[in-house]
Amino acid sequence: MAGKKGRKPSADEQGTVTVGRSGLGTVVANTFGVIFAVVMIFPVYWVLNTAFKPAPEVLQFEPSFFPEAPTFDNFISAFNAPYFVDDLINGMLVTVFAVFGALVVGFLAALAIARFSFYGRKALILIILAVQLVPLVALLIPLFLMMQKVQLTNSLIGVGIVYLVLILPYTVWTLRGFIAGIPRELDEAALVDGCNRWQTFWRIILPLTGPGLVATSIYGFIQAWNEFIIINTFNSPEKQNLMAWLLQNQTNRGTAWGPLMAGAIITSLPVVVFFLLIQRNIATGMTAGAVKG
Amino acid sequence: MKRRIAIAAALAATLLGAAACGDSGGTTAPSTEGKVDGAGKTIKVWLMVDAESGWKKVVDDANARFKAETGADVKVEYQQWANHLTKLDATLAGAEVPDVVELGNTEFAKYVDAGAFAELKKDEFENSSTWLTGLSGACELDGKTFCVPYYAGARVLIYRTDLFEKSKVEVPKTLAELKTAADKLESDNKDSKFGAFYIPTNWFMAFSFGQRSGGKIAVKEGDKWVGQMSQPAFQQGLQDWVDLHKAYSKADPAKDENDQAAIFAQGQAAMFYGNGWEKGSAEEIRKDPNDPESELVPTKVKGKLALAPMPEVPSFLGGSNLGVTQKSANQALAAKWVKAFTDTKSMEGLIAANALPNSTALLDKAAAVEGMEATAQAAKNSWFPPNSAKWADVEKQTVPQTMLRDILTGKKTVQEATAWGDEQINTILNAS
Amino acid sequence: MYAVDSPATPRQHRPSGGHQRLPQRGAVKPKRRKNDSARTPLLLAAPALLILAALLGYPMFRMMQLSFQDMRLRQLLTGVTPPWVGLDNYTNVLTDPFFWDVVRRTATFTVVSVVLSVVFGLAVALLMRRVARPVRLAMVVAMMFVWAVPQLVQAQIFKWMVDTDFGVFNYLLAQIGLDYQGHSWFADPTQGWIVITTLVIWAGIPFLAITLNAGLTQVPKELLEAAVVDGASPWQALRRITLPILKPLITIVTTLSVIWNFGLFTQVWVLRDSKVEPEYQTLGTYSFIQAFGQSKYSLGSAIAVITVLLMLGVTVFYIRQMFKIGEVD
Repeated sequence: MAGKKGRKPSADEQGTVTVGRSGLGTVVANTFGVIFAVVMIFPVYWVLNTAFKPAPEVLQFEPSFFPEAPTFDNFISAFNAPYFVDDLINGMLVTVFAVFGALVVGFLAALAIARFSFYGRKALILIILAVQLVPLVALLIPLFLMMQKVQLTNSLIGVGIVYLVLILPYTVWTLRGFIAGIPRELDEAALVDGCNRWQTFWRIILPLTGPGLVATSIYGFIQAWNEFIIINTFNSPEKQNLMAWLLQNQTNRGTAWGPLMAGAIITSLPVVVFFLLIQRNIATGMTAGAVKG
Repeated sequence: MKRRIAIAAALAATLLGAAACGDSGGTTAPSTEGKVDGAGKTIKVWLMVDAESGWKKVVDDANARFKAETGADVKVEYQQWANHLTKLDATLAGAEVPDVVELGNTEFAKYVDAGAFAELKKDEFENSSTWLTGLSGACELDGKTFCVPYYAGARVLIYRTDLFEKSKVEVPKTLAELKTAADKLESDNKDSKFGAFYIPTNWFMAFSFGQRSGGKIAVKEGDKWVGQMSQPAFQQGLQDWVDLHKAYSKADPAKDENDQAAIFAQGQAAMFYGNGWEKGSAEEIRKDPNDPESELVPTKVKGKLALAPMPEVPSFLGGSNLGVTQKSANQALAAKWVKAFTDTKSMEGLIAANALPNSTALLDKAAAVEGMEATAQAAKNSWFPPNSAKWADVEKQTVPQTMLRDILTGKKTVQEATAWGDEQINTILNAS
Repeated sequence: MYAVDSPATPRQHRPSGGHQRLPQRGAVKPKRRKNDSARTPLLLAAPALLILAALLGYPMFRMMQLSFQDMRLRQLLTGVTPPWVGLDNYTNVLTDPFFWDVVRRTATFTVVSVVLSVVFGLAVALLMRRVARPVRLAMVVAMMFVWAVPQLVQAQIFKWMVDTDFGVFNYLLAQIGLDYQGHSWFADPTQGWIVITTLVIWAGIPFLAITLNAGLTQVPKELLEAAVVDGASPWQALRRITLPILKPLITIVTTLSVIWNFGLFTQVWVLRDSKVEPEYQTLGTYSFIQAFGQSKYSLGSAIAVITVLLMLGVTVFYIRQMFKIGEVD
């Protein structure tokens, strides 16, 4: 199958593969499937359960499996807590900035790697692969000292730029895969038709990379939205994001589990919504782009 | 014996303070004397959340008096205990720093040593001759003063009056009585979750027992710290604590005291050891934990709790100090604010809010307030960890916590664990 | 063109099929195309290069530099240049037996957690292909939710569930008659690590299972059917057909899991309430605590540099593989 480059994947529409199927086997498989789903979702259910319990019900030696007196108090409490709304908005701003920035800058670089041969190309590829190995925590001090010097600490722009850089290598790499998947015949045809290089990028490659851009943004979105070590160190509470807010709330004296879990739900919601919007691209984004040659 | 040490320390501090005055001619310590025109200026103050939830009125009052005197405004930012040091490091490394910073008394020495705080003129602050040495110790370096004690906390025994009555036991006056009472309580309450004395792995408490038996954490020999926990005096006290834990506590050895009030509120223990205000946390919880003004919901133990001094065991003196940052552009104003916030009037406000004042002279006043007798008593008989810039690192490395956990889980004997602890402490405190 | 068919194969078929590739292959001399083609790629790559150089390159250089200095709180606060100490930090770290404990622990955790995650992820991916539609939907939805929960929150959920006093785990275990009331999951480091590993696997499965499932759709059905006709057992079909085709993809998700799990930080930090005992230290937490807890920024940097080198050693294969893919396009 390796050679069949043009062949569309026969994504199996019917659902299950027929190989090795037997009545008993299917029952067993379905049972395992259900057990798996229940076990996986249990912690998520527990968060919901906790978040809707009133404060006295949360802290009980014998937890109940449904809130006896369901309430939105914990959500209200989270929203009223210091900096929650600020940090919610900050997190969104920073994430959107970083993801868009990385897509723009990354697309251009991916284009260079996928479509051109130039001096330093190999080095660029190597750099992009290697920097992904450096643990973020390791760069915290020097990054901090540097941003401090240019007065970009305690600033959303500063953190936004740092996040952009963190997701850039992956973005370039993934987009490179998507661009490489676009047949060169299309470029050439456009060139023959009198388009110049830039018009080719703009009219041919960019639209065809569209789904790839969406898929790539997943990773960036998750990374930027979930980051807390940098923003917690660089910025003061009114300029942090929800992760940092949750962290502060967590280690405060006598954890307020109810509002914490409510905050956790609110924090996860944007990602859930994002996933639902682009669910079709998720698997392709994670596999195809990163790996495709 | 304890008292003698405290006096000696106070004496030493006074002498050192005097010495500082002697050569302070050339230094630039900001003075709080004289008029400072602060009109149009704003100083930035970092206080911990305790002030916001406990005594916001005292803060407001000090701000008002400060403004009346200098014309300057105050912007108070309340910090969370979690990660506040990481944030402080990051901020102090920059140019825009808060003018006044509150830190825990065991955290201060490290920052004074690193030059983060400006020198202050000790004599100009009210009650400075009677400051609690457990707090002010961390402010002193080379005979100079770099911070002002703010408030203290001492730990006491919090017990269930109803269970004590039911079992017909008296409030214990000695450790032996405490054990007898606990035995009785255990036999009267058969629930498998019940433990007469809830004791989490709280090293303040465990090490207090070490102090009781005459032990020390570490002493300075020349310019070297030498761990003393593996000395029999300390070990004996630690063993007493372990025995108490084994006999009466159902607590998780890997859990600290952070949520002990919430656990105690479930009604499955008759005693715990905590700060005076934890009685309130156990009796009532806020409907909205993020809102200090929100309605209070009573727990199972509401109205059934009382405080008593922990018999025979000296208390670890916790608390906070206030310092004026070295990089502050308004050091004189900042010092004036600290003066207002730590004067007798403010301290009386703190006492009214159930916090202990910064001075031994005011402790008697505190002891006269209902509900504060026990804590004020405890503060008089208190101890504090080695006054070293590196002590914070000992806590960060989780040495006390790990040592106690290993004993409680049976992984190490008291002898082995304390030997390990001494080794760690020697390495950390004497590190370059 | 999809995940599974590329990494192992590019070299065999690309040269023959690479008609449009010729200009590029031969483009060692940059002047081959039009005038602009020498400048265009550099212009395109310039923003990315500049940003990477400034915000990753420079800090990495500073990290190296710091690791040869002795930066403490005083230097951080005053801005004074820290003294140069040569290899002292490295010597201190490398001669400290505790450091090697941490390395061993990090490596053990990485191996165990990655092997379990990948095996489990593959099993779930295979299972997804055998279950009825609604069941598969339930599995995907469950995984999507888990995936959407931020790492920090995932850790906090686990902390809440395994809490000694209020946790639902102990309650459930006690309900089925086990003596787990008030059980401490972290007093014994082995049990603590089981909790941490479970958390990491639980959180890692959605990515692994969904990716591997996508890979499985690429396994030609005809091949599997033919194998069954020839009398192969499902197990044989899996070993002989499915796994070899999936192998490149498995290699990549495994390497990614290694990179992620080797850098374990958040989960331990949250579950141990930011007071990480010696038995729970990994390279990530150790470096962080040395630097930010103890204000030994230089020592922390040295540990970070060593971590990166160790990681490079483990992932050099991956880099080479990826590099080849990137190179041929």
